[in-house]
Amino acid sequence: MEMTAHERMVNLFKGKEIDRLPRIEWCPFWRLTVDRWVKEGLPCTIRKNGTHLTPSTQYELQEYFGLDKVAIGIYKPYTKDWPYTEKGYTKQGLVANAADYHKVKKHLYPEFEVDKDHIALFKKMRAEGDTVIPANFEGFFWFPRVLFDIEPHLYSFYDEPDLYKEICEDYVTWLKKVIECLTNEFQFDYYYFMDDMSYNHGPMIGKEQFDEFLAPYYKQITALLHSFDIPVIVDSDGDITKAVDWYASTGVDGMLPLERQAGVDVSVYLKKQPNMFFLGHFDKMCMKFGEEAMRAEFERLLPSIKTRRFIPSVDHQTPPDVSLENYKIYVKLLKEYTQKI
Amino acid sequence: MTLTEEISLFLQRGSVSKVKEKVELALSQGVSPTEILEHGLVGGMTVIGDKFKENEVFVPEVLLSARAMSAGIELLRPYLIKEGKKSKGTIVIGTVRGDLHEIGKRIVKIMMEGKGLTVIDLGTDVLPETFLQKAQEYHADVICCSSLLTTTMMEIKKVVEKRNKEGLQEKIKIMIGGAPITQEFCDKIGADYYTEDASSAADVALKICTENRNG
Repeated sequence: MEMTAHERMVNLFKGKEIDRLPRIEWCPFWRLTVDRWVKEGLPCTIRKNGTHLTPSTQYELQEYFGLDKVAIGIYKPYTKDWPYTEKGYTKQGLVANAADYHKVKKHLYPEFEVDKDHIALFKKMRAEGDTVIPANFEGFFWFPRVLFDIEPHLYSFYDEPDLYKEICEDYVTWLKKVIECLTNEFQFDYYYFMDDMSYNHGPMIGKEQFDEFLAPYYKQITALLHSFDIPVIVDSDGDITKAVDWYASTGVDGMLPLERQAGVDVSVYLKKQPNMFFLGHFDKMCMKFGEEAMRAEFERLLPSIKTRRFIPSVDHQTPPDVSLENYKIYVKLLKEYTQKI
Repeated sequence: MTLTEEISLFLQRGSVSKVKEKVELALSQGVSPTEILEHGLVGGMTVIGDKFKENEVFVPEVLLSARAMSAGIELLRPYLIKEGKKSKGTIVIGTVRGDLHEIGKRIVKIMMEGKGLTVIDLGTDVLPETFLQKAQEYHADVICCSSLLTTTMMEIKKVVEKRNKEGLQEKIKIMIGGAPITQEFCDKIGADYYTEDASSAADVALKICTENRNG
């Protein structure tokens, strides 16, 4: 009998029996790719919010392709009246020192109230059985980077270490309250934290800095979420070969997207971290070359698929050089290989 | 330990104040500005570059060392001009049109400056014609194009085509890099050099400039 998306995720994370692996796009579809597919005859109504596809469009697309759907609860530490935006995004680089942070802080860490309508929608989706429902947050590398901006953030480990820790203390305090509130209302399939702490040659920062500035806060979050029996996944682009061990040491249960372009090899991670799960890693660069190339990529991944601790999924978003026809072939193969457990 | 060795060491530790203090002391003791630059600042940055390549130090340490190096060079600049010290070569660098990624390019720039090259940073989202205009304006030896996105990497081809159309293939070499870039892609679009990391990029750029200037 076919399991529900939730049952499948729960059993997968607990190492119990599953009917097949989930078939998901962990990351929303890329607008430029969907624009191409529309020109090629994709029969979906495309709604946009600014330059982004709306969540309902994302949902409809997943349904059209016959994927397990993913609906993400996104929770950010900015107040509704957050005044600092730029082209629809949170403005970066508002904080250069403690005085700046204290000025901005009144617009951070809002009193959290569960959005009942949102939760009702998630419960309906859960009851329908075909949607994976994770919660998404900014991580302890990502969130300070938003406040400092990219380059000052990297200086901040040396120039503003106390401020970095103050920000993370405030943020983890807020996160814990939010997680308590959310878990009272709904059991998300997993919580994932965006960090992008690595680039294509390894981690941005060293182990000592990770242990000092990130690990103490991740440890608090993983302990709390594990007390609710919920796994924690970290999203970091680039080569995470070193970082995977660092995150594992804080209790993080899994990582994504394992970008092939950065030289990542999931089979290595599965061996060295036998308690972790991995998501992604299907080389998006091969998709434009058609079925033979995509099948070869799935064959490369098959031994890892068989461990049942790896969910194959496009290793970031499907790029705009992939035709609608090739994406349909990808989904067909994904369905075939997620059965081969 | 000599003063230039001390400068190199403090640069590796990213200490702006100590680098400035030691550079001033060295100048006051009559150490030649070129000696301070080559053995102190460039020497220190080369060590950091090698350690970065081996994942022994990480991006923050590279940035701190670069900041210390800039502080040292600022002090040396009037003396170097007086000495008639020439740059080892000029590089024009930028992230291609449609791509706003900055940090990878910044690291490459730092490594190149650490080799004593002059680097003109055009920023991000740079038009193909701007690369060519600026390269000619600054008499650059190399155009260095960065792309982090599969959707923008073909912009590099337009830079190559523009350079070729102007008949500047011998005068200006094109180096490319970024997460989706490969040697195969470099060959396919007719760019001159691909390097897989910042440290190697600096080595290759220095080699091109040296060969260019030695005729």
